[in-house]
Amino acid sequence: MKSVFSLQWQRFRRTPAMVLSFFAMTILFVAMMAGNNPAERAPVLTYADGSMTEQQAAEWVELLNAKEEFSFQLVKEAEARKAVSSGDATLALYMMEADYRLVLAADDMSRFVLEAFLDRTYREELRLRQMESQTADAGFRERVATVMKEPALRVETSTLEGTDLFQYDNQLQLLFGMSLFFSVYTIMFSLTKIVEEKKYGTWNRLILSPLGKWEIYLGHLTYSFVIGFAQIVLVFLLFRYVFGFNLGDRFAAMLLITACYTFAIVALSMIIMGLVSRPQQLQAIVPILATGMAMIGGAFWPIEIVRNPFLLAVSKILPITYGLDALKGVAIYNRSWQELAEPISIMLLFGVVCMGIGINLMERRSYQ
Amino acid sequence: MLETEELKKVFKGKIAVEGANLYLDKGESVGLLGPNGAGKSTTISMISTLLKPSSGDVRLYGKSVIKNPGKMRQVLGVVPQEIALYGELTAYENLKFFGRIYGLSGKDLEISIQRVLELVGLVDRQKEIVKTYSGGMKRRVNIAAAMMHEPEVIIMDEPTVGIDPQSRSHILEMVRQLNQEKGLTVLYTSHYMEEVERLCDRVYVMDHGRIIASGTKEELKSILSSEETVWMELDRPYPEFFKELQSFDGIRQAAEIGKGINFIVPKGSRVLGNLFQAAERHRAQIVNVTVQTPTLEDVFLHLTGRKLRD
Ligand SMILES: Nc1ncnc2c1ncn2[C@@H]1O[C@H](COP(=O)(O)OP(=O)(O)OP(=O)(O)O)[C@@H](O)[C@H]1O
Ligand SMILES: [Mg+2]
Repeated sequence: MKSVFSLQWQRFRRTPAMVLSFFAMTILFVAMMAGNNPAERAPVLTYADGSMTEQQAAEWVELLNAKEEFSFQLVKEAEARKAVSSGDATLALYMMEADYRLVLAADDMSRFVLEAFLDRTYREELRLRQMESQTADAGFRERVATVMKEPALRVETSTLEGTDLFQYDNQLQLLFGMSLFFSVYTIMFSLTKIVEEKKYGTWNRLILSPLGKWEIYLGHLTYSFVIGFAQIVLVFLLFRYVFGFNLGDRFAAMLLITACYTFAIVALSMIIMGLVSRPQQLQAIVPILATGMAMIGGAFWPIEIVRNPFLLAVSKILPITYGLDALKGVAIYNRSWQELAEPISIMLLFGVVCMGIGINLMERRSYQ
Repeated sequence: MLETEELKKVFKGKIAVEGANLYLDKGESVGLLGPNGAGKSTTISMISTLLKPSSGDVRLYGKSVIKNPGKMRQVLGVVPQEIALYGELTAYENLKFFGRIYGLSGKDLEISIQRVLELVGLVDRQKEIVKTYSGGMKRRVNIAAAMMHEPEVIIMDEPTVGIDPQSRSHILEMVRQLNQEKGLTVLYTSHYMEEVERLCDRVYVMDHGRIIASGTKEELKSILSSEETVWMELDRPYPEFFKELQSFDGIRQAAEIGKGINFIVPKGSRVLGNLFQAAERHRAQIVNVTVQTPTLEDVFLHLTGRKLRD
């Protein structure tokens, strides 16, 4: 097993370009896009149409800013449109009396988060207004506010996975999303070495040697695991210590989660290797699979803003969903080990099942 | 020492090998000859325990190796038809790895590497990346890799395919030496008749998955010993003459090749005299006539009705 494992490193040292490029790409993407942290980001240019008075518009902006999640700046319509069309801003908010529109130049991932925020705020405010109009009580709003501060009945709002409300941290979302996403490439392309061995006949040499078959598989699997794991961990370390991202201080938990995720992806890759008949097919399959899983699993935008029940259902069978959930659980919500047990064990289970299927498929396959 | 009994392999309903019976005695050099798709590689894969036969048996020193491939793998070196090497590594690194998986290490490993490199004549260029080698050099490393653990039997699947004449003759000479001087048992697969003629004591001829003839070279040739091959060269092609020639009694397998005609006649036949007269009638000028005893190539043609290579 050791000889097969170290052979892969020897080969990696000769042709490191591919793995290094995925590593570099992760860093590049995170570093580039993490600059757009909503808190520090330029305010969302906001304008209203004729259906609102200037004062009404100002009130809305004040209301939106009060939440302190995004900052909004009221401007003239022409100014906002010019900024968007010239590329100075990626989007602008267009307010109507009881509705809003986003004016977009390019598709910006952060717009989903903004949209979710606006949706929530508008709904809440409009409901308040509706009730206000139905009571004759002039002090209704104030009283709602006071009552909300001292509610007679406290209702804990919790999400399915944990006990936390959705908190958005653009930096960590990007860091976790991108590193888990790009590691899929590294792992899968590293494992294609098995398919290549079968194709080029070196596999037969290994089989004829006194090595056990499990040693050959284990050598390859361990290599892919280590290289995928190392890539993710190095990226984390880099952003923690060089870029100063706040990853929290529970590094052991994050290592464990990363390891389980890597294992799940290695196992999934085995199925893919068992399904293709030529190594070249992987050039097409891997990017589609990696991107698809990343989109649905919430690597590109937070899964919390996805509403489509079908996509949510699909996300439940992807290890990346659980990996991200657990990583954010540690770094953002500081969840307990008990709460992390679920995503971790799902990833492990996923890995074990896929590995079984994958090796079986591989054993049946001959490669041209 | 090694024998197969009624080996058969069916791939998804397609029979690749059927009823293959062959044996190798210690120190022998045996050829397995056949055109593309004859089933040579499939047979070899079954013998070397890489492929499970659909039925039949492979025995080493009388013991079946199908359930228990370990013993066979110990004594066997296999040179695959394809270049089974890691292209991004050097010849030295490849050999080192293939030695290590056989449990070699340290000094033994180093000695083995240099021994096989010397054998294939690549000592000087061992530190070069395999990808950059010529086809012939890759083939040589391919053979060297199978020799690292000093096997008793070596099975070579078309080890000279697609290489320059120089490398080819180097490889042939090397195999001959290994067999005759080191006593290595060799099973040599090829579709080059000359190679088998030069290297092998005994030959199996395979076609369409079956062994259609076997024996020593002489035995095989004696199948045709009552016949002679005639090569008649003319100053230009004469289609009319060729047509008439085909109708002559006793002439078989006539073929027009360029300006000449190749055919087989019974030994001592008088047909040649008639042929010269016919040539005269067609005003065909005979440049050269050669009468040969048959080659293995002719035997193959006789057995299968096809040439080995088209
Ligand atoms: N894995 C496989 N699946 C299906 N058919 C196969 C497989 N391997 C070989 N065959 C078929 O079995 C037959 C014999 O193939 P084999 O490779 O043994 O021939 P060969 O004598 O080695 O030919 P060549 O000189 O081209 O190497 C061919 O018709 C081939 O298509
Ligand atoms: Mg073959």
